[in-house]
Amino acid sequence: MSRVLFVVPPLTGHVNPAVGIAGELADRGHDVAVAGHAGVIGGLVPPGLPLLALPETLSEDDRADIVARSRALRGPASLKFLWEDFLLPLAAAMAPAVDAAVDEFRPDLLVIDQQAVGAAMVARRRRLHWATLATTSAEFDNPYGVLAGLGQWVADLLRDFQLAQGVPAGEAAAGDLRFSDELTLVASVRELLRDPEVPSHVAFVGSAVGRRAQTAAFPWEWLDPDREAVLVSLGTVTREAGGRFLRAAAEGLLGLAGRAQTVVVAPPGLVDDLADAAPDDLLVAPFVPQVELMPKLSAVVCHAGNNTVCEALSRGVPLVVAPVRDDQPIIGEQIARSGAGLRIKFGRAGPAAVRAAVTALLDDPSHRQAAGRLREAFAAAGGVAAAADRLEKLAA
Amino acid sequence: MSFQETAGPGGAGRAETEARVLGEVTEDLREVIGEEYVIDMDITLETTFSQDLELESIEFVALADRLRERYGEAVDFVGFLAKMDVDQVINMRVGEVVRFIVDSLPAPATAGSA
Repeated sequence: MSRVLFVVPPLTGHVNPAVGIAGELADRGHDVAVAGHAGVIGGLVPPGLPLLALPETLSEDDRADIVARSRALRGPASLKFLWEDFLLPLAAAMAPAVDAAVDEFRPDLLVIDQQAVGAAMVARRRRLHWATLATTSAEFDNPYGVLAGLGQWVADLLRDFQLAQGVPAGEAAAGDLRFSDELTLVASVRELLRDPEVPSHVAFVGSAVGRRAQTAAFPWEWLDPDREAVLVSLGTVTREAGGRFLRAAAEGLLGLAGRAQTVVVAPPGLVDDLADAAPDDLLVAPFVPQVELMPKLSAVVCHAGNNTVCEALSRGVPLVVAPVRDDQPIIGEQIARSGAGLRIKFGRAGPAAVRAAVTALLDDPSHRQAAGRLREAFAAAGGVAAAADRLEKLAA
Repeated sequence: MSFQETAGPGGAGRAETEARVLGEVTEDLREVIGEEYVIDMDITLETTFSQDLELESIEFVALADRLRERYGEAVDFVGFLAKMDVDQVINMRVGEVVRFIVDSLPAPATAGSA
C-alpha cells in the first residue's frame, strides 16, 4: 500500500475531482490525505479522507476582493490577474506549508492540482514523485492560439518563480510546474481536443466524479415524465456574478414550458419570482445533485466549466455553453467543435438567444448523437478507477 | 490622437485607406463575434479587443483566418500578434490593427502617404 498526498488550491471546481480520485485510492486501501485550505475546501472533503490544513493566507476580505476584481475581467486580462494576483502569491504562500505537510505525511507520491504550482515546486525541489491533476483539458488544446506571447509569459513567470524558490536554473528551465514529467491526469477525453495525440505520460481519464462530501436534496417528484428537462447552472464560482444571464435563461426557457421544464441553480432572490409565477415549469434551487440529475436531462445550459461539461457528456447530454473566462472559452470551443452543443455569449445573450439555442438542441438530433459518441469516450476513459490505476503504478 | 499624428503629409490618402480598412476589419470582427451580439455596438479605432469586445484567444485565431483571406500573405497578423506581450494584448485597440494592416498593404493602397 502507498501513501498518497493530494494538494488542491482553494477552488471548489478543483477539489471535487481530486476528492473523487483520492476516495478511490482510499477505497483500495492506500493511505491518502488531502492538503488544502480548510476554510474553503473543508466542506468538500468527505469525513473518511484526512485533511491536512494549509494555513489561510488570505482573509475573508482579501478573498472577496480578489473575486470581485476578477469578475470585471475577461480574456488576456483575466489570465494576467489569475497568475499575478492569485496563483503565484498562493504558490509562494503554500510552499513552506506543503514542505511541512510532506515532512508530516511522508508520501510516496504527491498528486498536485495543475494550479497548485507551489506544491509542484516543492516536489521538484525535493525530487519527490509527483503527478499533475489537470481539472480541465484547456492546457492541452492550444489555449493561447495566435497569442503566443501569452503562453510564453506564463512559462516565464513559472520559471522565475522556481528560480526565486531555489530550484536550480537548469531544472527550472527544463520543467514546467503545470505538467509533471512522470504522469499528468486530465479530467476530460482526448476526443474533445483539436489534436488528440498526447504523450504516453498524459492520461485522459474522463470525468473524475467519485465520492463526494455531500449531496443536495432534490424534489424528484416535481419532474414531469411527459416533458423534457433542462438544467441551467453556472457552477460554483460564476453564479454569484451571473444574475443577468441566469434571469435571461429562465425567462427564455419559460417560453418552452409546453415541452420542457427548467431547473435553474441560482442564489435566493434572483429568479424566485419567475418560479413562483410558474411553479410547474421552473424550479429554482441554490444547489442541486447535479450528477444524479444528469440522466433526467435533455439539455444543460452552463458556463462551460469543465466539471459540468464532463458530467453532462458522461451521460450523453448536449449543452448550450456560455463561457465566461479562464479555460471556459477553450472548453466551449471543444463543445461547439464536437457538435455536442452550441455556444452563446455569456455577457450578451438574452432570453431569445438562450431559447433558440436550447430549442436547436432539442430539435436537431445531431447534437444528442455527438454527445452520445462522447459518452462512449468518457466511459472508455475509465474515470476515477483509471486515474487510480495510473497513480498506483507510479507509487509502486 | 495617434491616428491623426501618423497621417502626416498626404494624410488624406492614408486616412481614406484607414477608413476603408476599419470598415473591413469591423465586418470581420462582427462575423467572428457574432452579428447578433455586436449589432448595437459601434466599433471604432479606439475600441479595445479585451475590455470592449471581450475577444478570447480562440476568436483571435478566427480573426487571423479572416484577415488572411481578405488581405493575403502581405498582412502577417499572426506575426504581429506573436510579438505582443501580455499587456500589449490586453490594451490592444482596433486602431493598432488597422494601422498595421495599412502599413503592410502593398504600395498602391498607401499611395500619397509620406
